[in-house]
Amino acid sequence: MSGNILEVSGLTAGYGQIEVLHGLDFTVADGEIVVILGANGAGKTTTMRAISGMIGRTGSVRFDGNDISTARPDAVLRAGISQVPQGRGTFTDLSVEDNLRAGAYTVKGSTVGDLDRWFEVFPRLLERRDQRAGSLSGGEQQMLAIARAMMNRPKMLLCDEPSLGLAPIITQNLFKILGELRDEMGMALLVVEQNAGLSLQLADRAYVLETGGIVATGTGDELLADDTIKQAYLGGVG
Amino acid sequence: MSNDTGRPDVAPPTVPDEGPITAADVIAADDTPGLPKRTPQFSALHWLGRVAVFVVPLAYVYLRVLGKTGVLGDGWSNSGLGLLADAFIIAIAVMGVNLITGFTGQLSIGHAAFFALGAYTGLAMTDGRVTTPFFGDDNVWTAGWTIPVAALLCFMVGCVVGLPALRLKGIYLALTTLVFVEATRSVLKYERFDGVTGGATGIKGDKYSPPPWAESIGLEGRGDINEWFIYLSLALLLLIMLLVAGLMRSRIGRSMVATRDNELAAEVMGVNLSVVKSVVFGLSGAITGVGGALFGLKLGLVDGDVPLFGLLGAVTFLVAMVVGGSAQVWGPLVGAVFYVFANERARSVGEAPGDFDLDFQIVLVLMVAAIVVIVGRYLSKNLERIKANVSNEAVRAAVIVVGSLAAIFVLQDVLLGIGSGRKLDGLGGVVFGVLLVLFARFAPFGVVGTFRLARNRIVQVVPKPPIGAKVAPLPPSAGRPESGLAHDAEAEAEATPTGGRADDESSPPP
Amino acid sequence: MSLFIQRMFDGLAEGSIYALLALALVVIFRSTGQLNFAQGEIGTLCAFFASTLTLSGLPVWLAILISMVIGFVIAALIERVVVRPIEERNPGAVIVALIGVFLAVNQLSAMFWGVDARSLPSLFPTDADSFFRIGDAAIRYERIGIIGVLVVVLILLYLLFNKTKIGLAMRAVANNQESSNLVGIRVGNILILGWGLAGAIGALAAMMLAPSAALSGTLMLGPFLLASVAAVLGGLDSPVGAVVGGILIGLLKAFLIGYVDFLADMLFPVMLVVLLGVLLFRPAGLFGTEKVVRV
Repeated sequence: MSGNILEVSGLTAGYGQIEVLHGLDFTVADGEIVVILGANGAGKTTTMRAISGMIGRTGSVRFDGNDISTARPDAVLRAGISQVPQGRGTFTDLSVEDNLRAGAYTVKGSTVGDLDRWFEVFPRLLERRDQRAGSLSGGEQQMLAIARAMMNRPKMLLCDEPSLGLAPIITQNLFKILGELRDEMGMALLVVEQNAGLSLQLADRAYVLETGGIVATGTGDELLADDTIKQAYLGGVG
Repeated sequence: MSNDTGRPDVAPPTVPDEGPITAADVIAADDTPGLPKRTPQFSALHWLGRVAVFVVPLAYVYLRVLGKTGVLGDGWSNSGLGLLADAFIIAIAVMGVNLITGFTGQLSIGHAAFFALGAYTGLAMTDGRVTTPFFGDDNVWTAGWTIPVAALLCFMVGCVVGLPALRLKGIYLALTTLVFVEATRSVLKYERFDGVTGGATGIKGDKYSPPPWAESIGLEGRGDINEWFIYLSLALLLLIMLLVAGLMRSRIGRSMVATRDNELAAEVMGVNLSVVKSVVFGLSGAITGVGGALFGLKLGLVDGDVPLFGLLGAVTFLVAMVVGGSAQVWGPLVGAVFYVFANERARSVGEAPGDFDLDFQIVLVLMVAAIVVIVGRYLSKNLERIKANVSNEAVRAAVIVVGSLAAIFVLQDVLLGIGSGRKLDGLGGVVFGVLLVLFARFAPFGVVGTFRLARNRIVQVVPKPPIGAKVAPLPPSAGRPESGLAHDAEAEAEATPTGGRADDESSPPP
Repeated sequence: MSLFIQRMFDGLAEGSIYALLALALVVIFRSTGQLNFAQGEIGTLCAFFASTLTLSGLPVWLAILISMVIGFVIAALIERVVVRPIEERNPGAVIVALIGVFLAVNQLSAMFWGVDARSLPSLFPTDADSFFRIGDAAIRYERIGIIGVLVVVLILLYLLFNKTKIGLAMRAVANNQESSNLVGIRVGNILILGWGLAGAIGALAAMMLAPSAALSGTLMLGPFLLASVAAVLGGLDSPVGAVVGGILIGLLKAFLIGYVDFLADMLFPVMLVVLLGVLLFRPAGLFGTEKVVRV
């Protein structure tokens, strides 16, 4: 844990004339798991898309000592940030193996080793190697999306609502895998979630995002103990 | 529309023409292809403008084109008159395309087929090729009957083809209608139907001439056919415009617009899509068929290789519709006049000037002047306000139209030299193809739509106050372009001309 | 029987041309979701270029290669200059714009090469005695050559799509542009590449057809329509469907002309009925995958 791998300051972004993020400041330290908690429409996905260069943004984004404030998506990937998009975003018409190969698009040289490795981590994917990704179950597709992102050999992984549409037991398993990945690879992890209960248990630190601005921050345990947070993000869930 | 809520003190817009809305009203409201300045309601200037829109073009045709009274010369040559008649005829055909493609949103490039059917009907009947028990022994139908028969035939064919075809959407429908054009052409050229269609050689049947009573206005025989067709097709065109405007105000018209804007929602609301679409396809085919019948009777010669009956004709109608303005009642007329004369100009590049070249140049100068005024205002000290009101769209559309006209002239005068005798085949097509692309990109509402859009922006950018809200008293400058209302580009893009008008009507009276 | 075999090869050769053109349409549809109405006309323009190049003394194969490059550039330009800017603002207008491109490109050839028909020599021997026999049937080498061209193109396309990284990217973009962006594929470049590829294939189709037809502005009007029908019948997103559809239409045409006298000139009415029939019962075509539209 030496310093911050990601430093975001004054990040604004939006669609067309509508600004969604009004100047976000947050950091992710090396090997840290950070969760950004927010309700629907708070700007979680926009934050993700802004970091990975999918939409226009202003403000400063520094990653691993490089300024990626204006980088295009492929340059962000090359810098070492992979994203697991909301709704998984697998290539449904492509085979599982082709999905993984596509994940390594920006990697130069052979990726056979990576392929074997992620098939080892996710044996279900190996079983379904030649199937169309669209024929996989939701949980399997989420695994595939994560494996695809890992094919890029990232230093940091962005996960956009990984629990969306998954049964609680599968979500639990998923977060366990994410935690293990961090522990094994020392990779930083930035997760945006609505599901406060599970994600805060995973988090080293967390931010709360509301209508495009950070309104609270603390360690996962601190936020779990906070009454307001409990009410807003745990009340309905339990 | 509520992009301006920060300015609650702004007055509601001038509301034009309250009371029951008639078809004539729609047409009248469609006026003013000109500067996007709108004078306050009910002022003398306002009504003068509305009347002028009708009177000036009619007077121009009467005095200049037809050369009556000799004030503005002796009139155009016979071929020039033929071109104007062609423009009206093509405008009718484009009205048909506009009904299904513009208003209903079903892209048809198949209307060349109806045009061909109509033309063949007209000639086959006046040539005595169709037998009926009604019209005496020679079976030569009175020419006047050919037009409703052509409409009826095209209506039936349209319904039959439309019922399956209009289940398809987008490129599938476009492609199917395109195949329909070639299929119709094959049938018309088919040797086994020789007796009716003349097979591969077609029908030469220039037996149609103005009716006897037309002698009282100086039209005698086939030689005056072009002038006769100017009257006849203009009358039919206006009739069809009234019908279409009325149709769009009716229940079925609203179903059509609902279908275009959101098929699923329309279906949920109880619009029977396939029936509405096929009947409208039939109607639009019938209108284009009327144009075709006029075309055939005027030309007196049809065969399967007439360009307007094939793929290029299909594209031509689309060009005229898009340039004039899709879903605009006046669009087809503007588009067709533009198309016919610009095409003729492009075709005769390198030839000695024709008899309407002077008119063409005057129009060009007027349009350039209009652009200078618009752009001048656009860049004037009121930059922000004018920019908001005039809209980039109007400037773009104007620049596109004038630019393409200028291109035709520049190519003529600079590249080839007047009267050099060199031909530049295909120039017109290239210009029109590029125009279609430019309009799709910059001015999707066409000339008429863009000007209406510009005008409507001026009167209806005002946010609607919530129901029951107290409305501020109307300041004297209400409804003037200078009322300085900001709006954002997105609302502008969304506000279609029709939508804008709906807003006009629903705004509370002052 | 010999006549049957002869007609079959006629149909196969002509069908191969439709299949090539249909393949070009499918490549574009998969990436952009558009039917490229200008596809045939780009081919015509390239055939004119090739004709001019051979007149200036270039060997036919080189003229064809150069013209394919020209076709690549023209189609790529159309994607970049026309399709993409309009798609971003007004997706529904792209089809109208493409019809405009169709008209403009069609008339460009008339502008530069006039309206008189030109000729383009064939890549294959066309002398009176360049044929071989199967039984009594005389099969011209040119027919075999055209079928061979289709096979070669198919093999190359298969290798491109399935064995190269670029091909993988093209398939990924066809499937999901957003995710393609996220894995670092420059979607814009891939789209340009796809259009260019289609332009080159379409040009090849036109240059296979031109030697046996009059090279004029109308060269590709009919074939384009037939190839579009072929592509739609096969399924606009299916390369296999395009080839099957193209060959089927080629055979249908050959046998209609050969055996069904009264329908010989009625190819398009037959096509209209077939097209409507297939689309109503299989909206995505024979080999296409149906897209479920969620509301």
